[in-house]
Amino acid sequence: MKRFKSIALAAFFILAGVVSVLPAQPVSAADGSASLSIVPKKTYTIEPGKTISDNLTIRNLDAGAPLTLNLRVVDFTFSDDGGTPKLMLAADAPQTTWSMRPFLTLPETITIAPSGTKSVPVGVTIPKSQGAGSYYSAIVYSTGAADGGNVGLSASGVTLIFTSIPGKVNESLDLKKFGAYNLTSQGAGVKAGYVGITTTKPHAIAYTLENKGNVTESPVGTITLKHMFGKEQVISDVNPNKSLALIGQTRTFTACIKLKVEALQVGEGTTQSTECTNPTLWPGRYTVSLDIFYGQNGNNTEEIVKTTAFWYLPWWFVISFIVLLIIVTLLVWRLVNIIRSKFFGGRGSRRPTSYRSSSRRR
Amino acid sequence: MLHRFIRLHHFVLHWRSVFPVELIALFLAMFIFVAPASADMRFQNRSLYMNNAEAGATAQYTVSFSYMSPAAVGSVDLLVCNDPIPYHECVAPTGFDASQVQLSDQRGETGFSILSKSSNHIVLSRLPSVISNGTSAYTFDNVKNPTDTTQAFSIRLRSHASLNATGPQIDFGSVRGEATDSILIETQVPPMLIFCLAQEVESNCTATNDTYYSNMGTLDSESTLVAQSQMAVGTNASGGFAITAMGTPMAAGVNVIDGLSAPTESIPGNNQFGINLVENTAPAVGKNPDGTWANAIAAPDYSVPNKYKYVQGDVVAFSPNVSLMKKFTVSYIVNSSKDLRPGVYTTTMTYIASGRF
Repeated sequence: MKRFKSIALAAFFILAGVVSVLPAQPVSAADGSASLSIVPKKTYTIEPGKTISDNLTIRNLDAGAPLTLNLRVVDFTFSDDGGTPKLMLAADAPQTTWSMRPFLTLPETITIAPSGTKSVPVGVTIPKSQGAGSYYSAIVYSTGAADGGNVGLSASGVTLIFTSIPGKVNESLDLKKFGAYNLTSQGAGVKAGYVGITTTKPHAIAYTLENKGNVTESPVGTITLKHMFGKEQVISDVNPNKSLALIGQTRTFTACIKLKVEALQVGEGTTQSTECTNPTLWPGRYTVSLDIFYGQNGNNTEEIVKTTAFWYLPWWFVISFIVLLIIVTLLVWRLVNIIRSKFFGGRGSRRPTSYRSSSRRR
Repeated sequence: MLHRFIRLHHFVLHWRSVFPVELIALFLAMFIFVAPASADMRFQNRSLYMNNAEAGATAQYTVSFSYMSPAAVGSVDLLVCNDPIPYHECVAPTGFDASQVQLSDQRGETGFSILSKSSNHIVLSRLPSVISNGTSAYTFDNVKNPTDTTQAFSIRLRSHASLNATGPQIDFGSVRGEATDSILIETQVPPMLIFCLAQEVESNCTATNDTYYSNMGTLDSESTLVAQSQMAVGTNASGGFAITAMGTPMAAGVNVIDGLSAPTESIPGNNQFGINLVENTAPAVGKNPDGTWANAIAAPDYSVPNKYKYVQGDVVAFSPNVSLMKKFTVSYIVNSSKDLRPGVYTTTMTYIASGRF
């Protein structure tokens, strides 16, 4: 019996060893659609002790296959100074202090018929004892993984959920940077970022704020741009996309110097597209003044004021200026020579003899 | 004539030695003594409380602030505009109406009544008296909230010694408000994010080839294995979208072909796994992004032809604002060294499309 046990144990360990070095098998299958339409962002204001019920609309765009989605709530934070969420997808990811995971209820799985639409019921319940502030998490909708091949594909969509609980909150924004800004969308060869002296026409003015409070912040206000010779331009919407600085984030907000707003036809309705276009800027020095406001309902309205400057010196202007400078220098030099030869009768830069003698006499 | 030049020379020399010092001194004196000190100050501890922030709703507003100047105040001017800056043109928020407001409560500096009111302008008046209670609050009933939730609004505040908010201002400042819940505007499409993924997809996501994997063939240290997949994405949300790539690099059991941590050329004979989202010639694989929306782009590290990278969690494509539909083709390359352990190397790539905040 003992011998049988030891043989069985050895066989088990050998089998386990073989399995561990065997190549991975393709992951489990998922037949169906991977074409979906979701709501990218939801924002709620809920008082403590209250519940709201909402529906998230999800569409299956595939006409030939059903769409099966697994739903789960994960926390997220910021990935950089922009607006891209960094999802905490690990199953054992710790709950953040701003998490909505304890407050959200939703189904685990849904199936939508080909070309169909489904409203997913979502409930948000805020406990009575919950303090005021901003809370946010993400709902991840995942299709199954593929069956076969070396590279399997899986699609996921995300809805970002933001909830504001009204009351006295801690709000604090620190201005870190402010000035002219080159955007990625300005084209190849243009490095995105702040510029002090630039040969490329900046399309935006940016400001970077560090959020030290316990709420997300979306500042509003005005930027005034003034050329050295007085022409003034006002950017009246400093946060056209209503971007947010998350808790703890240092966020860069960009405001277009010239904003192009376009109404787009989407299905039976319209949507509004905004983008920065090439502004009319003359070469020279620009003074930029920032005046922004922030503050939640019922809390103090805080104001940040700052002035800075930048130089816009395109290459054509620099070259023209140098050429002009050379021409002026030559003309002055020529004029000086003419005056000297006319009044002093000498040549070049030598002083007249009579002047030298009169100077010595003094 | 010569003497005149000599005199001019002396004159200029004299002033050149005198000018800088005197000029700087004069400038500083002017700066310190002549520049007028502005008498008006900003109200402090400014806030607005709306008991109902729903767009278009009738609400109660409480405006609070601290008077800063110890001067006699006879009136307070409240002007409601989109822009908070006092010296800019005032555009009234869409749908806002203060023409029916009533002053229901006042704390701190009291004795005010409404002198005049219009759709976006209220003037409070009292017999002028010196400020004794710094922090004050004024509550107004029957205020109709703006209907536009796409932008915040402001109440520009000014105090005056006069009874009717004319003449020099004493203190000034603005408070910020925002209508939150939107009234459904039927012609406005609600924000949506469209995303599809397969070996081949249509630009508008209405059809795919329903194949969610790629076979790359047999690993060989002399050649590069390639594959490609496609995804299309679009959103009418003002914040745009981001696509994040998730998934472990290619592995067979415990043996892993690590992803390239920086954009790198494909070198057969080295263990490499990488992707990019543009057309390549070495090896020939992939396509450039397809679509009219210039603001939807592949991330800089994944848009260099013939250079590949893969770091789990990287954003591979994004748009900072509205971008209706754009199709991206993802190219995959795998190289293997001679001493790579045999096995079936696989990975599952999960592409996550999200909105931006």
